[in-house]
Amino acid sequence: MATTATITLTSADIAGDPVNVSKTATCTKAGTTTDLDQTTGVNRVHLRNATNKVLLAANAEGDNLAAKVYIINKATDASLYLTVTINAQTVGKLYAGDWMFIPWSQTDTSASIEVAATNWTASTGDIPVEYALFHEDTDFLTNA
Amino acid sequence: MISTASADMCCARTACLALAGGGGNSQKLTTAGHEKGVAQAAGLSRATTTSTGAVTLFAASAYADDKADKVYIKVTNTEAARYVLVSIGSTAVGRLYAGDWALIPWDGTGDFKYTPGQSDSTTVEYMMFHEG
Repeated sequence: MATTATITLTSADIAGDPVNVSKTATCTKAGTTTDLDQTTGVNRVHLRNATNKVLLAANAEGDNLAAKVYIINKATDASLYLTVTINAQTVGKLYAGDWMFIPWSQTDTSASIEVAATNWTASTGDIPVEYALFHEDTDFLTNA
Repeated sequence: MISTASADMCCARTACLALAGGGGNSQKLTTAGHEKGVAQAAGLSRATTTSTGAVTLFAASAYADDKADKVYIKVTNTEAARYVLVSIGSTAVGRLYAGDWALIPWDGTGDFKYTPGQSDSTTVEYMMFHEG
């Protein structure tokens, strides 16, 4: 059974004409039309640390294979965000309710996906985060 | 101006029913730390390459750091082997194969680039919602 991901981007007023983009991708193994066949399932963690934590540990065996990562910040306080980092490069910030769906090349073991509740303090409360990985790397579990 | 830019994602597979439940997840694209919608966009664009040289879609120097920018990028080719490697700064994020799309948060601290994996004609569509 295929894994598909559909995105719809809409805005009635960010430009003179409405924006309405809707696309569906079928997640396949690298360079083929064969469906991705492995997933971590949806996981949930609570972040309570302003320093980087490994969410998904890179496995060099996964280099040049297809993988997609989904992460959502389930916080409801608009000011609470998590910072997503790969190999010491900040990718971006996910604010409350934000999600991302990105490809992931595990170029080496430094390419782990790390997250930090950057502005977390004991008084802000935890940041709940849900994530899932769809992949084809059969060695992933032994290295996670 | 109150933007209502939003992004929905539905991911359908038995293994991820939670994602598909309720029709997927919707996020309002807001400015950093606020509930106000982002007000600026680099509209939907299309670029075709015929070499394996890196292409800078968004230069970090042109955008403020540490904002809630979001980049949408899609490879429109249908040949399964075609791909581009998305990078931020000098860090590889991942490969997008034919038909794949991504919605990537970007904090503007490194150039947003892609590198085609082949010199055959490769077409990418992209847009960004940003804070300037």
